[in-house]
Amino acid sequence: MRLMNLAAFCFTVASALLLYSLNYETRRLEAGVQVQERAAVKARSDIAILKAERGHLSRPERIDPIARQLGLMPPRPDQLTITSDVSALPPEHRMAEGE
Amino acid sequence: MRAGVSITPGLPRPARLSTRTRRAPLVNAMLLSGTVLAFGTVASQLLNLGLSGQQQITIAVSEPVATSFSRPDIIDRNGRLLATDVEVPSLFADPAIIIDRDEVVEKLIIVLPDLDQNELHQALSDKLRRFVWIRRGLSPKLAQRIHDLGLPGLSFRSELRRAYPAGDLAGHVLGSVNVDNKGTAGIEKYIDDQIGVDAVHSVTLSTRAPVRLSLDLGVQHSLEDELDTAVRRYHTRGAAGLVLDIKTGEILASASLPRVDPGRPLPSTDPLLLDKVSGGTFELGSVFKTLTIAMAFDEGLAVPGTMLDVRAPLQAGRHTISDFHPAGRPLSVAEIFTHSSNVGAGMLALQAGPEKMKAFLGKLGLLQTLKTEAGAVSTPQTPERWERAELITVSYGHGLAVAPLQFAAGAAALFNGGTRMTPTFLKSQPGVGPAADRLVTPETSRQMARLFRLNVMDADGTGKRADVPGYRVGGKTGTADLASGGGYEAKAVISSFLGAFPMDEPRYLTFVLLFEPKGTAETGGQRTASTNAAPVTGRLISRIASQLGVQPLAIAATQ
Repeated sequence: MRLMNLAAFCFTVASALLLYSLNYETRRLEAGVQVQERAAVKARSDIAILKAERGHLSRPERIDPIARQLGLMPPRPDQLTITSDVSALPPEHRMAEGE
Repeated sequence: MRAGVSITPGLPRPARLSTRTRRAPLVNAMLLSGTVLAFGTVASQLLNLGLSGQQQITIAVSEPVATSFSRPDIIDRNGRLLATDVEVPSLFADPAIIIDRDEVVEKLIIVLPDLDQNELHQALSDKLRRFVWIRRGLSPKLAQRIHDLGLPGLSFRSELRRAYPAGDLAGHVLGSVNVDNKGTAGIEKYIDDQIGVDAVHSVTLSTRAPVRLSLDLGVQHSLEDELDTAVRRYHTRGAAGLVLDIKTGEILASASLPRVDPGRPLPSTDPLLLDKVSGGTFELGSVFKTLTIAMAFDEGLAVPGTMLDVRAPLQAGRHTISDFHPAGRPLSVAEIFTHSSNVGAGMLALQAGPEKMKAFLGKLGLLQTLKTEAGAVSTPQTPERWERAELITVSYGHGLAVAPLQFAAGAAALFNGGTRMTPTFLKSQPGVGPAADRLVTPETSRQMARLFRLNVMDADGTGKRADVPGYRVGGKTGTADLASGGGYEAKAVISSFLGAFPMDEPRYLTFVLLFEPKGTAETGGQRTASTNAAPVTGRLISRIASQLGVQPLAIAATQ
């Protein structure tokens, strides 16, 4: 019986220590989660700003004059043709897909 | 003596033995129950913690917490960004810890010259206040300059701010938000009312799906650019235009010049800055003949070949209605359209009578208030009585003022096969929506498409300058006297062109309006729509047709 009591006591102390360390581990993990969450919020904010900047840089009002300076212009009707005609071209004249 | 005492050696005494044996189980039970209780408490606490989760920590602060709204992004039909929320610094002051108020005001005015000096001075004088907004939504560069001043009592807080990456493109449609990021006009207000925004106390970007508009950024830019050119070329006081998909009702572009910047909304009541596409009503002139002639076809009163003697002017009360370019011979209904004969349109309206005319316009939705996602369209101004004079004037687009968007939506039904089309600023899903409501017969729609094309192809047609080889453009001009103070201005007109393409299977409708254009050397001194609005439409269609995927036909086949 005494042995059992001793074992129970040891088990209680061990459990208390385990609980104590678990508590601290949980807090550490929580702090880690908060850091990650803050990083995610910051990343989302940065993405929003980058998206806005990309939208601003690619706005047609800016691209249009640059394209014209480079000698580009809206396509003329005679520069367009239907797909079936294009596929009739010999393979060496066909544009690679995705180009 | 020894024999007299019968005690067995080695055995405990009976009294001591019985006390110990009685106490031992009690102590053991107490220890055991104490241990069980301790473990039970720990277990229940663990269980409790595990099940209840972490409670939110609430911190009460003495200063007012700024409530802002996080909004979903707005994108065009192809996913290009039109509006988004970004994090920006906002400047506030704590008057209680400001040491030298005058210094703060003096230095801040240098960086923010548009601050009201007296107001700021007064706000900072109240030492009981612990929180005073100075400027919300600063640029990072300005915030750094203020930070570098090193003034105690000034701090920054991050807030959400609406950004419009495309600048003032489609500014009238997008609308605006207030300082709290709440929608106050246009699509922004629609988002608040119908889609929803989230009240936030910190910088939290919206997780809602973006709002996909029907607008096409490329088409919108082409329209605004061509209108800009037209304003300069014809010295107009303003311009407006729109591009509609007449099958789905989607508005692909809508512009009104001068533009407004959604990022810097002005509390201006300047009528020049009004959205002329849906915020104002105008007498549109001869483009209205499209409706009059469609009514005559649909009611079975005429066919394109029906001849009418238009040589004699029409009498309407005190007024005499005559043609701008009298033909001097009877004209067919098709010629009435291509010559834009007021007398011919008036005769067709008289033939139909006021009831049929009113019913037809009502059917096309031109007598009721129209609503879109960007807000209510200005209510049409209709004649009080529909007598002979009103009937004749309405037939060629005077005496009835309507918003250009509403007119275009009504006219679209004449070219899409004859079904009702409700204009929308949101991208529609294919196959979704109510069953098409028939307004005119398919035959009327085909006849109108032929007339539209004829007016551009014919050497005498008023719309010939709108032609774009390969894209089968059709259309009708309108040159209306500008209404002013109960009468009409002597030399001011609104010239417009209602166009559609490709006319073999009409899909897109354009409407271009130029306000008070001047005669130039290019137009031969003329201000009529055939010399200005028609070529603007031609240039516009040549730019947007390929963007919209319209297949050009061999040029010879389209003539």
